[in-house]
Amino acid sequence: MSKIEVLSKLEDIVGKDFASNNREELFIYSQDPGVSHPRQVDYVVMPETVQEVQQIVRIANEKKIPIVPMGGGLTLSGLVIPVKGGIVLDTKRMDKIIEINETSRYALIEAGVTSGQLISHLREKYPDLQPPYPDAPPSVTLAGNALIHGSGYLSQKYGDHASMINGLEVVLPNGEVCKVGSCALSKYWFTRGPIPDLIGLFTSAFGTMGIVTKISIKLFPKPKLRNIVIGLIKNLDTIPGLVLNLTATDIPEDLMVALAEKPDFMKGYAILLLYITGDSQDELDSKTKILKKMYRKNKATFMKLPPRYYDIFLEQPQFAAKAADFRKGGGFEYVGSFLPLEKIPAAIEKARDISLKYGIVPTQVSRIIGRGHNVMFAASYSFNRADLDDMERARKALHETNEMVLELGGIPWKSELAGQKLIIEKMDPNYKILLRTIRKVLDPNGIMNPGNWEV
Amino acid sequence: MSNEAEQDWKDIIHRCFRCGYCKFTYDYNDFNCPSYKKYRFETYSTGGRLWLIYGIINGDLQWSENLANVLYACPTCGNCMENCRFDKFNFLLVDMIEAARAEAVKKGFCPEKQKALLARTKNPDMYNPYGEPNSDNEDLKKEYNLPDKAEWVYYIGCTSNYRQKNLRDATIRFLKKANIDFTLIDEHCCCSPIMRTGQISPVQDFMNYNIAQIINAGASKVITSCAGCYRTLKKDWLKFGAEYDFEVYHTIELVNKLLDEEKIKIKSEYNKTITYHDPCHLGRHMGVYDIPRDVIKRIPGVNFVEMERNRENAWCCGAGGGVKIGYPEWAVEISGERLEEAKETGATILSSVCPFCRTNLSDANDKYNMGFEVLDLIEILDQLEIEAME
Repeated sequence: MSKIEVLSKLEDIVGKDFASNNREELFIYSQDPGVSHPRQVDYVVMPETVQEVQQIVRIANEKKIPIVPMGGGLTLSGLVIPVKGGIVLDTKRMDKIIEINETSRYALIEAGVTSGQLISHLREKYPDLQPPYPDAPPSVTLAGNALIHGSGYLSQKYGDHASMINGLEVVLPNGEVCKVGSCALSKYWFTRGPIPDLIGLFTSAFGTMGIVTKISIKLFPKPKLRNIVIGLIKNLDTIPGLVLNLTATDIPEDLMVALAEKPDFMKGYAILLLYITGDSQDELDSKTKILKKMYRKNKATFMKLPPRYYDIFLEQPQFAAKAADFRKGGGFEYVGSFLPLEKIPAAIEKARDISLKYGIVPTQVSRIIGRGHNVMFAASYSFNRADLDDMERARKALHETNEMVLELGGIPWKSELAGQKLIIEKMDPNYKILLRTIRKVLDPNGIMNPGNWEV
Repeated sequence: MSNEAEQDWKDIIHRCFRCGYCKFTYDYNDFNCPSYKKYRFETYSTGGRLWLIYGIINGDLQWSENLANVLYACPTCGNCMENCRFDKFNFLLVDMIEAARAEAVKKGFCPEKQKALLARTKNPDMYNPYGEPNSDNEDLKKEYNLPDKAEWVYYIGCTSNYRQKNLRDATIRFLKKANIDFTLIDEHCCCSPIMRTGQISPVQDFMNYNIAQIINAGASKVITSCAGCYRTLKKDWLKFGAEYDFEVYHTIELVNKLLDEEKIKIKSEYNKTITYHDPCHLGRHMGVYDIPRDVIKRIPGVNFVEMERNRENAWCCGAGGGVKIGYPEWAVEISGERLEEAKETGATILSSVCPFCRTNLSDANDKYNMGFEVLDLIEILDQLEIEAME
């Protein structure tokens, strides 16, 4: 079948306006804001319904055309740039908020709902509830974030965002629709079990197992007030102990350790960003008092900053994309990784060395997940998109950081192809066999984002 | 002026990260970029456009009809500038799109419909984008008994002079009632439509001609009832090197000033519920938000209500940037969304201070049978008893 015929079939499904192989769409969808090299895209399609997704997948299967589902397109690690050409299926027209269940506290939404959309919807209609979302622009999708094993708001208290998935509706590689989680048998999308938990098949799978069209994500109570208690840490080795002590209390809603060696006076220090919430100022004051004492005991210094900094730190979601202009160049990418808490001091030092080696200002953040059971450690490398050498330096820094993380016993998160390769090299052979077997069963034609997780 | 403002836009454009803030309202509750909301491909966001343009600059892409079409399917409303978080260059976003349109024109990829704007504007029998025979405004001067020289020039603008004559006449009547010493000139188009569409070759000549006419009229002040002309005279002409020492006012600024100085008094009541649509050229591009609202609130009897998206966060009417001529049906769709929003307020009057917005909102009002009275504020004032106090 010629490309024109494929396009025509896609147009029949979604309408002429939402299927394209114009060079301009192919150009834009062949790259993301990270350092991945552009890769070929053959078609871009924007379905609106699950039925349309099914039809697209069936055509892809019939014609053995690779298909790559896309949410916000902001993983930065090239996960939605096809490796072997084919169709990019942009889910952003699937943007309905289907249900907010206030009692069981979940949101059932379509895959293209952005974090901005749900945050705004809840603020207006359900001010006592808050969703989990990442420190990313409001254009990211909540489904995409949860499915890549994202973290962010509420992760300290409640875990990573993949663990907050109650259920999924998925179009499988054969075009059939499957529901996983309690929605497999109940009209309530309120929990993952107690049946064999298949949600995990679709998390961190980068679209290789199917295309998620609906997701139920947990919502959480939203206290009336929120503030930040900032601490300064001089001795990085104290971080694990400090975090353990802090998370042993019920106080931090979110907790991060950040390192940014600009301005210059910040060199050699890490900043503790601890978010507290409460229903009264008295409650916040009392929590702050406890924390100040705890900081002192653990050799950290309480810091009071000018009000404008509080505005920056308390913005939701934070403007993390500002790193893209650090080198006046419209780009940054980071190695996010899951690391054990005890390895954070070493990771900070090593990532700092990598940054300096490549002439990039060290910029890192360690987000505590689930009271320290895990830490999302991110080492960010800004680059200038107009300077190919600068981009190459960032690529090398990312790669060395991936290696460093793996050496420390951690796992690179939402990793680009080169990082996936490093992960696969270290993987237990039987894990690989199991993964390969499952994929072969689900996707015998190998159409689902091929090139990723090539075990 | 920041360093970025002095740099060539081609050295800045790669700094867009394509994070997508530009698509939204300020609280993210909806997409506020008319183009992205319509087309939905990332290509049609401001970030997408900037990446395409950068692709052209660095040789990854070649000009094509479709690429030009993507660049022109944007009403240049400025929502992206308002919501982009990169304050070192966000104020340049629309300028970059317009500069790229100028490149498209140079390379021969200006869409046909837009080309018509230039052809008509340059036509010596017209000098306006509507293709109407040029009016030297002498008949109007006679009709209203206006002098040849005066302190003020009312620069009517093409839309008011050829499509919204009631707005023009209401403005003239207001100026007369307020005892303003004014005249009209044989004006040529201010060039807003052709600038917005990248067709900038005649701008210098037109601008110089208009400035000479204003100076010849002995005026020290210019008034315009069009948001597009206002922006062009006050901002764009300066970019094209204009040197003039007359002051430029939008009608509504003059009305407000006269009310402030107690030189006029509104004597009668207007017992209706009014909502106000911010023209992008007056609002986001020139920062004028309070003055029209202040005037509305000073009209006795008015019940003023705001639409949900207002001021910096306003939804565009869809007429600007060459969209009305290039994509007429879509332009009216965009206005249709504005009317739906206006309906929510309970207003019966949808007001604005731009003949272009008035045209497009009226077209949508007719198409969708929305039942509003779409009026320029000066047309409302024209219905009232205005007393000059000196």
